[in-house]
Amino acid sequence: MPERKGRAPKTAERLGRMLVIVPFLVQHPGSELSEVARAFDVPVDQLRRDLDLLFMSGLPPYGPGDLIEVDVDEDDRIWISMAEHFARPLRLSRSEALALYLRGTELLGTTDLPEAPALRSAMDKLRASLGPETLGDAGGIETADPGAPIEALEPIRGAARERRRVRVDYFAHSSGEWTSRVIDPEQVFVALGHWYVAAWDVTIDEERLFRVDRIRRVEMTGEGFDPRGLEGAGRSLYTPTEEDVPVRLRLSPAARWIAEYYATTDEHEGADGSLDITMPARSLGWVARLLLRVGSDATVLDPPELTAQVATLARATLDRYGE
Amino acid sequence: MEPLERLLNLVGLLLETRTPLTFEQIRETLEPYRQEKVDSAKRMFERDKDILREYGVPLQLVDTDAWGTEQGYVIPKDAYYLPEIAFTPEELAALFVAAQGVRNDTPAEEAVRKLMVGAEGSTLAGLAGGPLASGSDARGSLVMAVAAAAQDRRRVRFGYRTSKGTASDRDVDAFTALFRAGHWYLVGFDHEREEARSFRLSRFTSDLTDAGAGSEPPDGFRAADLIAAGPWTAAGEDRATIVLSPDVAWWATGSLIGAEHVRTRDDGWDEITVPVADERELAPILLQLGPDAIAMDPPSLRDQIVARLEALLA
Repeated sequence: MPERKGRAPKTAERLGRMLVIVPFLVQHPGSELSEVARAFDVPVDQLRRDLDLLFMSGLPPYGPGDLIEVDVDEDDRIWISMAEHFARPLRLSRSEALALYLRGTELLGTTDLPEAPALRSAMDKLRASLGPETLGDAGGIETADPGAPIEALEPIRGAARERRRVRVDYFAHSSGEWTSRVIDPEQVFVALGHWYVAAWDVTIDEERLFRVDRIRRVEMTGEGFDPRGLEGAGRSLYTPTEEDVPVRLRLSPAARWIAEYYATTDEHEGADGSLDITMPARSLGWVARLLLRVGSDATVLDPPELTAQVATLARATLDRYGE
Repeated sequence: MEPLERLLNLVGLLLETRTPLTFEQIRETLEPYRQEKVDSAKRMFERDKDILREYGVPLQLVDTDAWGTEQGYVIPKDAYYLPEIAFTPEELAALFVAAQGVRNDTPAEEAVRKLMVGAEGSTLAGLAGGPLASGSDARGSLVMAVAAAAQDRRRVRFGYRTSKGTASDRDVDAFTALFRAGHWYLVGFDHEREEARSFRLSRFTSDLTDAGAGSEPPDGFRAADLIAAGPWTAAGEDRATIVLSPDVAWWATGSLIGAEHVRTRDDGWDEITVPVADERELAPILLQLGPDAIAMDPPSLRDQIVARLEALLA
């Protein structure tokens, strides 16, 4: 919900919650308190307090037979009666419907997930039921075809969901090598069109971010793990470490996209449309490959050994073309 | 009496009433408004109305009779209740996954919670949790505004900085909000340039300003055609042949749109083909793979790569 103004934001928030939870409870008699609390993202105590208040409300003339009856039994199951007027929730607001539709579109446009067909049909139903006044016509929101399926995505998602420690073969872009690692996968998310898993790398006992499309083999170790509360979606893709080297580059307009894709710690506009950036790198290997790509559109300002590394890489690549 | 209770009773009363109720009638029925001073009761009622409307409760003030002598409040049931939507458990689970969002996308989560009412009994446990989130690099509020503008065919103005760093103000008839490869784009008619253009939302330098009604896209308009599939355009009919080392082939093939595996050579390298519309766009992608990728064909692509490497070493 958007931020509420008004005098009683807390009351407004509780009201909003009740108008959603009560219909659910009417339709699902005997739901378990903690499950409901989790699904609706409300603390169990708060849910109990809100349910206590429901007792007092009802319809005129507010006699004993007109009030909503709530019973939480000894197994913490919730039973509600006399709440027929709240048997269905409030309609979706346009911003709620649009937000959900946009999130669905993002997921459909990201990769071929097993949920995709169900999601697509759910979104069609949503649009059809809510009508054009809520979700507009079919033309306004689109997604392009998603990229190729990623084999490791489902095993990694499963492991994260069930908190299973796994052994993976991972291609580290920084070193250009395959490595075998034991990780506790916690958060699976998308950033800039790529799937990432935020995990605890058990081998080195540190937090690491892995691109899921660079994981080749996922093997269950048979062990579980306790989540450490690693950050997922929305986090910075770059985790600073002590070994980081600050790389300074001067980018011509054609190479400015580098500043959009990689985390920078400093950016300076030049007079001629160039952009000077500082970006931290744990190893220079991937930066050298990046520089091979942009060629003369980027100039290395620092460190000097990067220039040498680019030259070595260029020579090695050129050798592949020598006949 | 707690305010929450009063509000729940007010919603119930106005949903169930057969005729619109005046403030006086509401005051007679609901005890909390029955305080001595009419003014303060009225103020409380006004505040309550605001809270309900903020939540989208369709509280309406209508004539109580055909003569229009008096007005009263009512919440029409058809405007209040969510229509019944028969989602399968799989569909609902998929929506739940979609809504779990980046940076607490609360409107989307709120939406899916309302929809959960139709869930079959046992689905609840399966719905909760599931660490998965998708997202883009654009602010959620901007994506919402652009999507609404495209759906309503509005003309919008906004500040924009191109990938090459040129900043300017744009004036665009919004056609489509399009998501591709992690980015949201606005596709529409650019009034200054007098043609359809695409704009990446992460490059907007301002919010949208509404500039009135826009226009309909021309017949057969395809928004996706205005956005390059990847760093290069995959629409070309010509194909290039590339070999990839065993270290990178496995993931690099998947990241090249439209790539087809031809064979694995005896030395373990993979031969693939990719569609190529413009060699100047494909060459840099291959160069980033360094000595792990070799362009085999067409010769012009090889020449392009060799020339770039030689320029770099010069």
